[in-house]
Amino acid sequence: MNKPYSGNHNAKIQKIFLIVLIDIAISLSGCATNGVNGQQTSSAKDDPYENFNRKIFGFNDTVDNYVAKPVSDAYKWVTPQFMQTGVYNFFSNLKNINVVINDVLQAKFAQSAHDTGRLAVNTTMGLAGFVDVASHVGLEQNEEDFEQTLAVWGVPQGSYLVIPFLGPSTMRGLPGSAFDAAANPANYVGIPVQLVSLLNTRANAEGSLKFIDEASLDPYVFTREAFLQWRNNLATDGKMESSLDLDDELGEEAAKSPTKGSDTSALKKTTPELNVNTETTDIRPDHELRLSPPPSALKAVSK
Amino acid sequence: MVLKNMKLAVFFIFCLFATIQASAQAESGATAKQVVEKFQSELIAVMKNGKQLGYAGRYEKLYEPVSNSHDLTKIARIVVGKEWEKLSEAQQQKLVEVFNRFSVSSYAHNFKDYSGESFVFDSEEETTRGGVVVHSTLVIPDNKPVKFDYMLKEKGDSWRIINIIANGVSDLALKRSEYTSILQREGFDALMAKINEKIDNYSKQ
Repeated sequence: MNKPYSGNHNAKIQKIFLIVLIDIAISLSGCATNGVNGQQTSSAKDDPYENFNRKIFGFNDTVDNYVAKPVSDAYKWVTPQFMQTGVYNFFSNLKNINVVINDVLQAKFAQSAHDTGRLAVNTTMGLAGFVDVASHVGLEQNEEDFEQTLAVWGVPQGSYLVIPFLGPSTMRGLPGSAFDAAANPANYVGIPVQLVSLLNTRANAEGSLKFIDEASLDPYVFTREAFLQWRNNLATDGKMESSLDLDDELGEEAAKSPTKGSDTSALKKTTPELNVNTETTDIRPDHELRLSPPPSALKAVSK
Repeated sequence: MVLKNMKLAVFFIFCLFATIQASAQAESGATAKQVVEKFQSELIAVMKNGKQLGYAGRYEKLYEPVSNSHDLTKIARIVVGKEWEKLSEAQQQKLVEVFNRFSVSSYAHNFKDYSGESFVFDSEEETTRGGVVVHSTLVIPDNKPVKFDYMLKEKGDSWRIINIIANGVSDLALKRSEYTSILQREGFDALMAKINEKIDNYSKQ
């Protein structure tokens, strides 16, 4: 494990790993299509492979409980906070190479200058990225990746997928992650570095995972909805977030479509204004409802 | 003398009307922004005393502010979607009641202490269907700010929060996916059991 690997060898492992993952994903979606289309819930539109995804979700959860969480807890226990922060900053800084590339691919040239500045400041004055100097001088971290670039280019999101070991993604997220991995220097240095990177990622997700655990009634659905909304918000740079107000579902006009055929009668007396239209279960932004966010909000979202 | 009495009476009546009007305005004239800001300041106040209050104390202190600023009945109906119509009246009442407790207890659990957080108002805008969105930011020292967008609708003569969108993630949409999914897969009793379990967990920590 401690033996340094040659870059070549690593690249190969990386490639094989990705190919295997993509293969798994494709074959998963393949068999899922054949089987589970029968039982569709309200979110079937985004998640046609729900039954299969749930199995992978359960598998990932087990792996997390028995492997990733214990290791991550141990890491957090033995490592002083300033070291954890340093490691986090280091890997975030490396990611900024990819952020700059994607800024350019999305034609966000001003932001790419900002992010290049951030990368330069942190790599030099920030001691190879361990100290986040840039944030203190107003160069905040932006979140860009290739999946967002694809979204900007108009590639549809595709179905929701849960990838073994890696978690939530979408059809569009697969090429996205492959590109991001290729553009991250941490993936070329050696497996120990990649492991530390993974550990760092898991350790930093602790808060969110704990929140999901506490707040969710159905962790699978909660994770899926939160993930899809979060990605959508990133891809649109927060421009559509207000349209998530679900005005449609608030039902004033939903009353137009009374439940077809379902039993009921006791319900007729409930005020129709709140009947939620089945057809509007799509939580994605309704374009005509788009509100332009204030500039400060944009900044907050892009972090 | 009679005239003087009349004058006095008129004056008193006038005063009475004035105060009635003023108090009515205080109740009903609150704009969406005021409703949100009042709630946020009450929340921050509870966070400041969060440790001493403990879970039970925070729950009690937040019950009124949450119920008065949110339209929890409407939220409860929206989150179960079309399933609402399939519930009996007793079930509907139970859902609303349990949902109220769940909402307050999740506030009491998640806003338990204070480390310099503050809410900053950004802007306010009307939606196409008569709602108002209040954009605000939760500023957390040494941390990334969180954008909070409150969607309000008019209920009677006051504004009530019906959705909160945190950094682009809509609480209402999230809950609705969960609740409808559980109702469809496992039924009403399972949903109630799960919510009660969450409330229990919140109260223990």
